[in-house]
Amino acid sequence: MAQPVLEFRDVVKRFAAVSAVDGVNFSVQRGEIFTLLGPSGCGKTTTLRLVAGLEEPDGGEIHLDGKIVAAPQRGVFLPPEKRQLGMVFQSYAIWPHLTVFENVAFPLRVRRESADVIRLRVNHALESVGLGGFADRGATQLSGGQQQRVALARALVYEPAVLLLDEPLSNLDAKLREQMRFELRALQRKLMLTILYVTHDQTEAMTLSDRIAVVNRGRFEQVGSPEEVYEKPATPFAGEFLGRTVALDGALRKSGGAPSIELAGGGRIVLGGHLTDSLHDGAAVRLIARPEDIEILPPAELASNQIDATVEQVDYLGDRFEYYVRGAGAVFVLSSPKRDRYPVGAKVRVSFDPNAVTIHPR
Amino acid sequence: MSIPASTIDLPRPRFRLRPIRVAECSMLLLFTVLTGLPLLFLLTGSFNLAQPGRAAMYGFDNWLRAFSDPTTVSALWMSFLLSVARLVPAIIIGVMFAWLIARTDMPGGNAIEFFCWVAYFIPDFPLTLAWILLLDPNYGFLNSLARHLPFVDGPLFNPYSFWGIVWVHTSAGGIWFKVILLTPVFRRLGAALEEAARVAGASTATMLWRVTIPLLSPMILAVSVLSFIRGLQSFNTELLLGTPAGIYVYSTRIYDYIHREPSSYGEATALGSVFILTLGALLFLYWRFLRGKRQFTVVTGQGYSTLRVKLGKWRWVALAGCLFYIAVMTVLPLIFLIIGSFMRRYGFFNINSPFTLAHWRNLLTDPIFLLSLKNSLVIASITAAGGIVLYSTVAYLLVSRRTVAAPLLEGFCWLPHILPGILLGLGILWLFLATPLRFLFYGTVWGIALALMVSDSPVTTQAFRAGYLQLGPDLEEAARVTGASWWYTYRKILLPLLAPIAGAVGLMNFGGALTSISTPVLLYSHQSRPLAILLLEYSVTGELERGAALGLLITAMICAMMLVGRRLGLQLSGLQ
Repeated sequence: MAQPVLEFRDVVKRFAAVSAVDGVNFSVQRGEIFTLLGPSGCGKTTTLRLVAGLEEPDGGEIHLDGKIVAAPQRGVFLPPEKRQLGMVFQSYAIWPHLTVFENVAFPLRVRRESADVIRLRVNHALESVGLGGFADRGATQLSGGQQQRVALARALVYEPAVLLLDEPLSNLDAKLREQMRFELRALQRKLMLTILYVTHDQTEAMTLSDRIAVVNRGRFEQVGSPEEVYEKPATPFAGEFLGRTVALDGALRKSGGAPSIELAGGGRIVLGGHLTDSLHDGAAVRLIARPEDIEILPPAELASNQIDATVEQVDYLGDRFEYYVRGAGAVFVLSSPKRDRYPVGAKVRVSFDPNAVTIHPR
Repeated sequence: MSIPASTIDLPRPRFRLRPIRVAECSMLLLFTVLTGLPLLFLLTGSFNLAQPGRAAMYGFDNWLRAFSDPTTVSALWMSFLLSVARLVPAIIIGVMFAWLIARTDMPGGNAIEFFCWVAYFIPDFPLTLAWILLLDPNYGFLNSLARHLPFVDGPLFNPYSFWGIVWVHTSAGGIWFKVILLTPVFRRLGAALEEAARVAGASTATMLWRVTIPLLSPMILAVSVLSFIRGLQSFNTELLLGTPAGIYVYSTRIYDYIHREPSSYGEATALGSVFILTLGALLFLYWRFLRGKRQFTVVTGQGYSTLRVKLGKWRWVALAGCLFYIAVMTVLPLIFLIIGSFMRRYGFFNINSPFTLAHWRNLLTDPIFLLSLKNSLVIASITAAGGIVLYSTVAYLLVSRRTVAAPLLEGFCWLPHILPGILLGLGILWLFLATPLRFLFYGTVWGIALALMVSDSPVTTQAFRAGYLQLGPDLEEAARVTGASWWYTYRKILLPLLAPIAGAVGLMNFGGALTSISTPVLLYSHQSRPLAILLLEYSVTGELERGAALGLLITAMICAMMLVGRRLGLQLSGLQ
């Protein structure tokens, strides 16, 4: 494996008694988009700020481009201006007293580049984010989307080792967000950028990332490709945060044939073998499945992996129906195409796909 | 996966000197010396029987002497009485003005608001002088006029009295300060709240009584308490009008103790200590009160009101009333200040060629005046520039999450609030006398500037802090990440963005330094005498005509500065 551009080793950051980042390990490869995904207050922004040098860690080591940039045990801390990073803030942090050109030129002026180089590279950076004719505008005359592009151009203008993006799209409206997401991905491929991306938006995380880290309470719950994290959530939290889930509690049965789960509210799901290797017979477990992997069927004799259920509420969403279904002692939301219709109170069967569920100890 | 190579070159050794920690420590040290030590000297000095700078001897004699003197207790009582007596008319008139400007259809409201803003900056000492010219029992113009009235034998007015002091205060900045503070509050009072009352069927009077006044009462009360506390700190008018009549407040009593031969530092500090503790307790209660009322102010903060009370033909009466008050209280004294500065002998209109330019000529060619002008400009420049540098740094430390001792630092910043000018001057005088700092600061312009700078700390720090909070940390951090050092960031990003605030507080502090009397009065020497002290000397020695000229000059300087500031778009009124 190539040497990572960025590496965290057991990094800890506390605010008062609270651990915002609690013993985190990860590494980011060159040319990769690595996303920190989690709810607000989970420590993802603090992680980003630790990379930038805007926070000092209380423990562990941070390596950037083969150098230690922060290691409190050894008394090492490189201030942010020495780290050669680019960062786009959630608020964009466009300096209101400078023009678009001067905003983007700032990093180059800090590096004492000549006027010619500055003009060339600023214009190039502005072109690449689609703001060619805007150089002389005042920064406050720009719309939100344009400010976001200026912030991006400013971060890119001196070719940083890693580009840090802190919820860069969250202040844009839905349509613009989609467009910027697409452009960001294209730009990243073209310039082979290494990006550390922070978001709480799962769609952004799924569509942009090479790898996702699901962050919760200062810990990384799971790191993997979008597909891995979605299909095989390592924890119930990871599953619930990334898309909808159906969670059912039960007890693991390993004796006699294939392992299965005896659901608390009645019913039985037979499982593939490898899922339960680390668990013993009779263990209390939680089954997590995606609603789209669950089928609603008309009432009939129960086949294996099916349970009885009752429709409690029906929502019409135009392209589909959403059913609030009570079964096995829980209520969960399933969607179903328009051709199948079940009224409120209807008895139905709910069918699980044993290859598309994950099992977690309770 | 691991990177063994990286462990070899460690960028820095184990111990790191964090710049922010250095800044924090030096600020704490500075405040300890400049604010903490004077306060400590004031509080402990009263138990010290020796003169400052000598070996200390401790005892209660100062307290016994000070408080066995009945005038000491009466001075404290008089401070309280005067502050209450001037508060009542000031609040009533201030609320009236603010309500008329913000909530009624009285014509010319904006012009009157602008006038209040200008009048607020007219220094009180020249105004007091002007009232002396108008009301003096022997030569006061209004008294001369009144003699022509039937049944009037002696002088009708006497400014050297309790009510004279209250009267002059009622014309000075205090009232305009209340109008400036209250008008925006009246204006911001959510229109919806009043409209709801209207829709519910309330008449104008019911709405005012049941909705508007109850909503605004916390703010009015807060302004009252603040004014009361500020009233307790008053010095200039009391010195000029009270002393001749034997009316002493605690601040003029302290001045008296120090100016005795020999100076009674012990008694002065005993009196000062009592006052500091009282004021501290009052401010604490005020702060608690404000904290409890926060939810009220939130209610009043939504949207501007377009609903104005229709006064009908009474709006002209209201306008006439406002104009009359302004004419009598501000324009009239200023006119007589001008006339006074041109009269050969003030009050004698009947002598041959009563008018002369001699006072102006004498003033402007007087080497003492020229030296004082230079001193004043130097002091004011140092105060303004030093305040900007010092308190922008302190405010930065206060908003930064990295600062460890922020509460302590903030406490130091607020301390001068309980130190009225005269006590601050006394504390700093003591500091200079008792420490080697005297070689550098005692009796110099630097010493005076330092004291003024300390007294500016609460307001200036608050202004900068508000500025930083408004900017947020992102703009600064964005610069750091792009590779700019802190110093580069400060120069290119923070300073330009804070320039309006720096300009505004700089102008305020410059003006404050020009007009302050109570802070430098114990600290100046003949070499460092500022203009305001020269004005005090002219007034005390009876050179009223030359004093009038100098007072006008100072007033003109302040007004010109404030107009320039407004032209530059600085938000001066919002800072206090």
